[in-house]
Amino acid sequence: MTDDKLRSWLGAVADDLIPAADGMPAATEVGVTGSQLDLVLAVRPDLARALNRAWALAGEHLPGPALRLLADLDPRAHQAVLEIVAGAYYSSDLVKRLLGYTGQQPIPVRPEDYPAYLAEGLLDRVVDRGPVHRDPDSLSRRQ
Amino acid sequence: MSHRQPRGSPSNVKSARPRRCFARTPDFVRRTRLAPPPEPDAAGEIRQGRGIGYPGAEPPRGTRGKNTASATRGPSRDAEGGAENTGRTVEHADVLVVGAGASGGVVTGALAEAGFDVVCLEQGHWPDRTDFPALRPTYELEARGGWGGNPTLRGRPEDYPVNETDSDIATLMYNGVGGSMVLYAADWPRLLPSDFRTRTLDAVGDDWPLTYHDLQPFYERTDRAFGVSGLAGDTSLPPGGEFPLPPLPIGDGALRLARAHDRLKWHWWPAPNAVLSRPYQGRNACAHYGSCMQGCPEGAKASTDVTHWPNAIKAGARLLTGARVARVLTDNQGLAIGAEYVDPEGKWHIVKADVVIMAANSVGTARILLNSASPRFPNGLANSSGLVGRRLMVHPFANVTGYFDEPVDAGGHVGAKIVSYEFYETDPDRDFVRGAKWSLAPTGGPLNAALPSRAGNSVWGKGHHAHVRTHLGHSLSWCIFGEDLPDEDNRVEIDDSLTDSSGIPAPKVTYRVGENSRRLLDFNIERAERSFAEAGAHRTAVESLMRFSGWHLLGTARMGEDPATSVVDGWGRAHDVPNLYIADGSVFVTSGAVNPTSTIVSLALRSVEHLIENRREQRTPR
Repeated sequence: MTDDKLRSWLGAVADDLIPAADGMPAATEVGVTGSQLDLVLAVRPDLARALNRAWALAGEHLPGPALRLLADLDPRAHQAVLEIVAGAYYSSDLVKRLLGYTGQQPIPVRPEDYPAYLAEGLLDRVVDRGPVHRDPDSLSRRQ
Repeated sequence: MSHRQPRGSPSNVKSARPRRCFARTPDFVRRTRLAPPPEPDAAGEIRQGRGIGYPGAEPPRGTRGKNTASATRGPSRDAEGGAENTGRTVEHADVLVVGAGASGGVVTGALAEAGFDVVCLEQGHWPDRTDFPALRPTYELEARGGWGGNPTLRGRPEDYPVNETDSDIATLMYNGVGGSMVLYAADWPRLLPSDFRTRTLDAVGDDWPLTYHDLQPFYERTDRAFGVSGLAGDTSLPPGGEFPLPPLPIGDGALRLARAHDRLKWHWWPAPNAVLSRPYQGRNACAHYGSCMQGCPEGAKASTDVTHWPNAIKAGARLLTGARVARVLTDNQGLAIGAEYVDPEGKWHIVKADVVIMAANSVGTARILLNSASPRFPNGLANSSGLVGRRLMVHPFANVTGYFDEPVDAGGHVGAKIVSYEFYETDPDRDFVRGAKWSLAPTGGPLNAALPSRAGNSVWGKGHHAHVRTHLGHSLSWCIFGEDLPDEDNRVEIDDSLTDSSGIPAPKVTYRVGENSRRLLDFNIERAERSFAEAGAHRTAVESLMRFSGWHLLGTARMGEDPATSVVDGWGRAHDVPNLYIADGSVFVTSGAVNPTSTIVSLALRSVEHLIENRREQRTPR
């Protein structure tokens, strides 16, 4: 499934999708077809079958035509290739660091003592505009 | 892991409380075995081993949840109440609850606290907080796979498939203790007063057999029980009590939208969330993992596995996990006498009870009732109206994302930061009735910037990195829930051939977005784009109907006063079967346009307290 030829083809496709630019590495530079691919398929084994289909359908083609072919013939396999490449790339610690992304880090919540929206009187004006709900007890059937 | 699930004695240990069951006879306590008792080791396996819902009694990881049932289609279909010739274990309880999710946790807890002997059957297992993907580098990728909401795609052993080939929207749920709350965003709005009177006010749908004011005390009590953070005084609702916790921070991004709505003179309000803004009742406050919809590793997000089940079990409730109910059993008087379930090893069992409460969500409950057809109930249990499974409502969902040049802080919980009800109520100048609720939500991490799961686009090749950088941390989404008017053609049925891994017939969902919903969504999309424009977004992206958005499963066993046009009465009791209750979102008469969990649990609490108060009048099988 993940033999060298498939990895080599996927690497070409991955670098076509995510090339080195703007200070960011190309996909293969962060192991998208190596350890990152193994990681992706370990947590998303459902993608392996579609990757194999993609390889069978388009493995003989260069990246651009291969992706167009997959989009036409097997959209699910096409989507799986995108998900594998992007998933592997953005699971990389290096990539996250370069992006300054710090998501999924525990930061204790601190309720605001006096939120800006109160200080600015924004909610006062909402209240001043009155209820936005209808009271069935005081309304009759819509005319 | 901050929250620890209860540990202690096996779950079949009875409560020390005095029994207050339905029957008045003192010799009521029964632990019936209709069939010859099984071998001791087999009995022990079921009653003290893998089927028991205590974490300490779970099977080792890696084997949990494997379902080895035979591939035959469905359980044996012997006579009504047919435990005969089965050789299966039979438990007895005052009340059997089917499903350990939102409503199942609430009703089981209330009954156990009141001294009832309650058994709950849950097809899934205890969520393992250490297994939630929040802390793994592959979090975003896993959120799209095994931690997604669609049971068919997720395909865990405890899931059942749903045939959705004829549905515009795919159903989403989680099968396990805590139910779909384990994967929900924890938005905690209430229905509005007009939602209970759509027929009277707008000549559509039907009126409920209760009002907002009937439910308001239960809303306030469940706010406290679940630990809701919010700010009282929202003008979308009548005046009421304070929330138990202050609102969560809304962040700079939502403040930007709040200021925009101030200029537009449109409604907005800090959203109520069932996420702790401060430590509460032994639970930690939100730690801003931003992974609410793939399980909260902190236990700060309310779900009944952390808010209700520990106390329910302490009060004596017996929770059997890995117990997949096939059908409700009935006697020759037409009363429910319990249910038949299959365990992960494929062995079949029965729990007998004086009262059965369904809490398996609007797809699961309809499925079980329809699978419970018998000669006395040929169209399914409690279905003389023909409405079991009909009137499915799922809230058609649109998404508008706004992109800003400046960074917008939308960190923390993934549920609504602020809400708007500006376009919720009917306006006769529009070409549709009813309306929508808007929730402002964050847009996720780098994978979602590269490959959006909601509104947005992908750019590959040279422009990829610039695209991701300009979207990541620079966008917000208005999530638009439209009211879904009841339509009998939108339905849950039993599929002709599809089964789950136990061979139990699986549901088929047929659902089409109605013309009123389409107009409603289009109107609100246009207004949401205007909202973003006012807030300074340089562009917007629109997903006009999100297929994988069917979290809100409602209406397949509606409540009402007339048995010809409803399945249950205003207290959740089936018109046809006086000791069968439904506690989940199936009973909704109309959908409103808000996330329904707050209403589901409030209705469940109201119904079960009515059952408890009237237990001496409750008819039970002999």
